[in-house]
Amino acid sequence: MKTIFHILPFEWKSLWRSNLLKVLLVVILGAGIYGIYFGKFEIDKQEYRIAEVQQYERQQFDSLLIWSQLDTSIAENKSKYEFAMSPVGVGWTKHFTYYLTNETPELAGLCLGQRDLYPVYYGFNVTDLARQVNTAELANPMKLLTGNFDLSYVIVFLFPLLIVALFYNLYAREKEGGTLSLLQSQPVGLGTILLSKGLLRLKVVLVLATVLLLLGFLLQGISLSQNLGLFFEWLLVIYAYCMIWTGLMAMIIWMRRSAALSAMLGLGVWLIFTLITPALINLGVQSSEPLPNKADVIHAVRALNDKNWESPKSFVMDKFHAAYPKYDDGDTVNFQKWYYASSSMIDREANKLKAEMEAQIAERNSLLTKWEWLAPAAMVHERLSRMSETDRQSHLEFVEKVNIYHRDLKDIYYERIFAQAQFDFDDLKQLESLL
Amino acid sequence: MLKLVIKKEFLTALRDVRLQISGSILIILMLTAVLVGRQGQQQIAEQRKEAQEAMYDKWVNQGNKHPHSAAHYGQFAFKPKPVLSFLDVGLDNYTGISVFLEAHKQNEILFSAAQDSNGMSRFGELTAALILQVLLPLLIIFLTFNIFSKEREEGTLKLLHAQGLSMRQLFMGKVWGTYFMVLLIFIPIIILAYFLLDDQSAALDPGVTVKFVGLASGYAIYFLVFVLLCTLISAFARNSGFSLLSLLGLWILSCIILPKATANLADKVYPTPSQFEFRKTIKSLVKNGIDGHNPSDVRLASLKQEVLDEYNVETIEELPVNWSGIAMQAGEEYTDQVYDQEFSRVETIFKDQNRLSEWVGFINPYLAVRHLSMALAGTDFHHHVAFARAAENYRRGFVKRMNKDMETNHKPGISYGDYKVGEEMWSSIDPFSYALPSFGAIMSSQWRSVGALTFWLVGLFGISMIYAPKISRL
Repeated sequence: MKTIFHILPFEWKSLWRSNLLKVLLVVILGAGIYGIYFGKFEIDKQEYRIAEVQQYERQQFDSLLIWSQLDTSIAENKSKYEFAMSPVGVGWTKHFTYYLTNETPELAGLCLGQRDLYPVYYGFNVTDLARQVNTAELANPMKLLTGNFDLSYVIVFLFPLLIVALFYNLYAREKEGGTLSLLQSQPVGLGTILLSKGLLRLKVVLVLATVLLLLGFLLQGISLSQNLGLFFEWLLVIYAYCMIWTGLMAMIIWMRRSAALSAMLGLGVWLIFTLITPALINLGVQSSEPLPNKADVIHAVRALNDKNWESPKSFVMDKFHAAYPKYDDGDTVNFQKWYYASSSMIDREANKLKAEMEAQIAERNSLLTKWEWLAPAAMVHERLSRMSETDRQSHLEFVEKVNIYHRDLKDIYYERIFAQAQFDFDDLKQLESLL
Repeated sequence: MLKLVIKKEFLTALRDVRLQISGSILIILMLTAVLVGRQGQQQIAEQRKEAQEAMYDKWVNQGNKHPHSAAHYGQFAFKPKPVLSFLDVGLDNYTGISVFLEAHKQNEILFSAAQDSNGMSRFGELTAALILQVLLPLLIIFLTFNIFSKEREEGTLKLLHAQGLSMRQLFMGKVWGTYFMVLLIFIPIIILAYFLLDDQSAALDPGVTVKFVGLASGYAIYFLVFVLLCTLISAFARNSGFSLLSLLGLWILSCIILPKATANLADKVYPTPSQFEFRKTIKSLVKNGIDGHNPSDVRLASLKQEVLDEYNVETIEELPVNWSGIAMQAGEEYTDQVYDQEFSRVETIFKDQNRLSEWVGFINPYLAVRHLSMALAGTDFHHHVAFARAAENYRRGFVKRMNKDMETNHKPGISYGDYKVGEEMWSSIDPFSYALPSFGAIMSSQWRSVGALTFWLVGLFGISMIYAPKISRL
């Protein structure tokens, strides 16, 4: 152990004096800082979109509040007042558009994950959700395909390359430089020397990773004290990932091949684990497990909607009363009640189908997860996006929140609609508190 | 003499164990990608075709109803999976695959495969394109990095010179020898891929053969560019190690780092508008008029006056035609006009973004071949837009037909619920069909990429001719 500490400072000096290390440090640090900057840029764009709809929602609601205070003795105020106080609107006026936004998670800027594939908000009213969530954010598919140059990308793709570049000639350099026999004549074993050289390089890699992560927090303005747990989780995953690569390089060095061959082998392993295996797994799953046709949900919705309109009102009302006994007032003819009952039944049908499809998709994705260990780069990227709450799962959780929010709003509206009552000012205040 | 050098280079490469191994791995990967990819492509193509037919069936058998209700019932357009997408999947996993077409509104093309996959999908799918664009250049690097330095270290360069071989000849000999080696891997597989196409493919896309040949030629040029570039760099490199390091650095930069950075930069230079703004603008332009001085109620009133004048009557009730049908079609057409204007605006932004990366093809040949390959495989942005337009035109067609029927046949005085048409009407609307853009149309959108590849080829040949005699023999 003591000899290792003895060797380290000398090795550091020789490593530092080689231009390779300096070039690598500049490249990786540069890429990392660009990644941090770019991640922030993307997040700012998403935040802008969120702010945009929130502001619009606020404006809309403020006018409702103003209209609810209007003096109705003036003729032209009357329609505005009635609009603000009415829980019904039967489809076309729809009272008000609520927005639920998927707030940016703290660490999203370090790992943008899958967040760019989904809308960051949904806008809806209390009629059926099924026909209001079929939206997509404008995005250039070319950019989605190319992916994001964020810090997680630098870690997952470029750090292994850094490790290959630092380790490939650990042994070969001594041999090809003619210093191997000198080393072998030392009282210290060759293994110890190589080990200490390796440890030093690993240390450089880990320090660089830590510095970049710290820079990420600092430059993106993420509070370190509030996210200390996440910081250490990230660090743990990154360290483990770097260790895996160091282990792979140790195996290559152990084969004691020439520098050129070791470099090629290292690059080959990198190619296999970051490019080829994930691509192979994707190809296999993509070609064998077709995705469900989600247009079927839209079809089911329009078909049910058609049927509801064509059938006598009791067709909807009977089913609705069975599903929601609290709204069963025996009335099966009122148009307003029927309209909103029909909405509810449409959502039920759509949700049932969606759940079936999601189960099918989850099964397909579990196949991807099953083979994930063959693609450590993809595995680590998935872990990082899970921790940063930017993976697909996080989007599904957001969709669930949309469902719950919609249900809560519905409760307030439906209670008034089925009692054939109007909103009062307190109701509006209650709705405001839900915004 | 030149032939001898070519033969020598070709045979050394062929007999090198390391290259035998990496070459075989490449061939196995290519075979997997092509065979499995073709099977997957056929499956998806079949699935979408069936879905399209099933939905058309639902349209035809929707029962008797008012034509406007039918326009609301709507139709679907599914994007046909392009035949050559098994060679280059391009944007296909990131663009929506189907769109619901209904009266009054333009829906988005939804349900991309990437949205339904976990993060693994972002690492790409193994296709011939990935192998040919990214992995084959690596093989070229391994073939060429010591092509000169080895002879230099063994002192054979001087011997060759004594034989009367000019440096230019030697250089070209090495280039062609390496290139033939690459073609030996490339050509059989690409021929195999061609034989995977069947009559159905030709029926789906009549230009498939020309596109295929274009695709193969594009790659052939790309490989030659890479061979020339690598041979040049290794000829002037100090030693094998330096040559390998710089070639690998170049590869990582051009195939891994630059493409991402370019796409991100493009998004910064030409900012993408938000969906919210896009929809809001359309809504407000429809309401207030495209020029801002022609609000919808004024438009409606003047249309009403026009129609009344045309039939020489005083009130709507006296009209021999259905006023709602006319008004709805007019509203539809005005919205279409606004939508086209705004859609083109967004489309132009995306095309500008992509154009930036096409121009970068002059700096990075990988990007040039990438764009060209996607375009010829039918999986680039132009194809997505072509589908979007075809679907939207189809929507306009059948909605107009419904409105026109309502205008002429739904006589005033008859209530909405009492006027119904049936299957005869629905089946008079042809099923949605979409022809992939022709080879000529693709090439006219891809002239930058073709230009970039030509630029690289001619430029590198020129440089080689000028500088080859200056290659050091020591």
